[in-house]
Amino acid sequence: MPEKEFRAAVIGLGRMGSTFDDEITRGGQFFMPYCHAPTYTASPHTNLVAGADPHAEQGEIFAGRWGLERGQIYADYREMLQAEQPDFVSLCTTARHRAAIMIDAINAGVKAIWAEKPFTLSLAEADEVLELSTRKGVAIAVNCSRRYNVSFNQARRMVDEGELGEILQITAYTQCNLSHNGSHAIDAMRYLVGADVEWVFGEMESDERAAGEQDLMGNGYLAFDNGARGFIRGSPTGAAPWEFDLIGTEGRVRNLAQGMETQYYRWVPGGLRDEGLPARAPFPLPTHIPSSGLSVIEDLVDCIKTGKQPRCSGLDGRKALEIAIAMRESHRRGGRRVDLPLTDRSLRILSSEIRSDAVPARVRRLQSNRVAA
Amino acid sequence: MSESTYRAAVIGLGRMGSTFDDEIRQGGQFFMPYCHAPTYVASPHTELVAGADPHAEQGAIFAERWGLEDKQIYADYREMLEAERPDFVSMCTTARLRASIMIDAINAGVKAIWAEKPFTLSLAEADEVIELAARKGVAIAVNCSRRYNVFFTEARRMVEDGELGEILQITAYTRCTLSANGSHAIDTMRYLAGGDVEWVFGEMESDEKAAGDEDLMGNGYMVFDNNVRGFLRGTPTGAAQWEFDLIGTEGRVRSLAQGMETQYYRWVPGGPRGRNLPARAPFPLPTTIPSMGPAVIEDLVQCIDTGAPPRCSDEDGRKALEIAIAMRESHRQGGRRIDLPLPDRSLRLLSSETANDSVPARIRRLSGQ
Repeated sequence: MPEKEFRAAVIGLGRMGSTFDDEITRGGQFFMPYCHAPTYTASPHTNLVAGADPHAEQGEIFAGRWGLERGQIYADYREMLQAEQPDFVSLCTTARHRAAIMIDAINAGVKAIWAEKPFTLSLAEADEVLELSTRKGVAIAVNCSRRYNVSFNQARRMVDEGELGEILQITAYTQCNLSHNGSHAIDAMRYLVGADVEWVFGEMESDERAAGEQDLMGNGYLAFDNGARGFIRGSPTGAAPWEFDLIGTEGRVRNLAQGMETQYYRWVPGGLRDEGLPARAPFPLPTHIPSSGLSVIEDLVDCIKTGKQPRCSGLDGRKALEIAIAMRESHRRGGRRVDLPLTDRSLRILSSEIRSDAVPARVRRLQSNRVAA
Repeated sequence: MSESTYRAAVIGLGRMGSTFDDEIRQGGQFFMPYCHAPTYVASPHTELVAGADPHAEQGAIFAERWGLEDKQIYADYREMLEAERPDFVSMCTTARLRASIMIDAINAGVKAIWAEKPFTLSLAEADEVIELAARKGVAIAVNCSRRYNVFFTEARRMVEDGELGEILQITAYTRCTLSANGSHAIDTMRYLAGGDVEWVFGEMESDEKAAGDEDLMGNGYMVFDNNVRGFLRGTPTGAAQWEFDLIGTEGRVRSLAQGMETQYYRWVPGGPRGRNLPARAPFPLPTTIPSMGPAVIEDLVQCIDTGAPPRCSDEDGRKALEIAIAMRESHRQGGRRIDLPLPDRSLRLLSSETANDSVPARIRRLSGQ
């Protein structure tokens, strides 16, 4: 293997760490390589040098797949950090341990972290990680992958260059639990609008769910500091699966059906009273379609060299969590507007991905297939 | 259906009473005839027998256009009601006077009222008119015209026939002040969702506007009693002009660009993980496209014959107003959920169409106001 500039390690050797790309047979939402190990292997900047996972079988499969030696697989990630001194580390474990592992990785001297979402479970954890990473100058990219997807990048470029005029509205029809895939939905809304949320109103799927800390579905109204307004429907969306609708005074971009189609509308003359009509125009593509995962690495390499923040930073990860929690607070308070930031930092959402996380997801899937068969 | 021809009169001889159809050159949102006088002239059920307007020039133009004699035009609508004894009466004046004119018309013995929107300015006025109309058995249709538009009636049929599955969401991007054209937007959301609103959240265009009684723009979140959720954007909508999006588990209907296009989506096999894809299918049209005004008349004739409520009833008119006011109350109370119905019936919205209403709108337009 040729020596590349950065040594990369993956912690958590399951689906996002290793095999997720196998599930995807069509482009649009993702362009390959996307998940962590295949990206480190493909990137011109990184060598995949180690993996860590407490489950021995996960480590064996990972080593076999990515051509690592037994000695490069560790049961204890702390040992791995100590022995391998990686520059990049990917956090692909259950979200339950993410904050603690990020803190250990920063203290072990890594240069950059590529973390799965949600960023953390509680706001206090997020605060602690961000304080430490800032102090130590470690770049953290959260894998809210739409920020590294060409359609979303182009939509944001159109916003930045004024092609859509003043941005008025972002609507998301995204069935999700608000921490788990809600991290993606809320982050994509913030990214497309290019502004921050000042206050929210939310309705959760039930009073019982809102009262607890388990991950939950809900809808929300978001007021952005640039005057834009957002509506997210995280409860079931039926025949509108994963859709973002970005509306400006001069144009509109709709991302449909889990990113499989992106539409662009702009004004043409005509209409009932000659007030103009919105007509669909070809969505402008760049001359090159980047791979989602490789874009994250490019971004992080840039951060290491220049000290800038990643396109989806730890701050963005915390904001997505805080907006989700504030929507739940709105429901808890009987349906009222909740201002950001939240004062109670102990608030948290137990992301649905941490359920049953004592057993690797791969094994849980095998077991449920056996039950189904 | 009754074979008789009904005597019809128009009160308020301006834009909606007489000339609105002249402005429309493409179908979609409207199919002609649409507004009041041309509809009474075209309908096989009605004969236009009188008009009333305090502005003499409005009356002269109306008589000329629709072939009425001078004596069929009245300055005072009460005199007209007394002298002409119309069966149908259209309320096309400024909304400021609508409630009192409806009360006078009901007391004068009309059989049916075709009223422009908004239904009334205050909830108390709406309550009074509805109570009286129910007691006297008078049918009132409010001209929230999408209930008489083929694309919306087909969408509603698809909802009722289960073709869209369980309805989950209705979204409206409809720049409007909440009473003037908000009556249309909110009524259409209720019509398509097929449920009633239990509570709302709202944000108005400003604290100052929310504190007053003047008509205003705003956004809202609505919770329907059949579990549908609604989102209304009445603040400026840029490149998404007057759009309704009705989403069910099995299908979806979108009405775009002020009704100039209607799209239908349903599931087809496919998708990145084999979970299917929503694909656009031809929107199903009925075998005839009804004119919208005559559809209101057909509806009201049936109401007279059977006692059934009109497709857009006085109750519907009151509900649209109450939802708009509740959205404003939500803002007034610092951004909180407001349950319906509202206990304070004195609440009102001074519909933006009542601004400068001492001068006919035609004159205001001529003088560039």
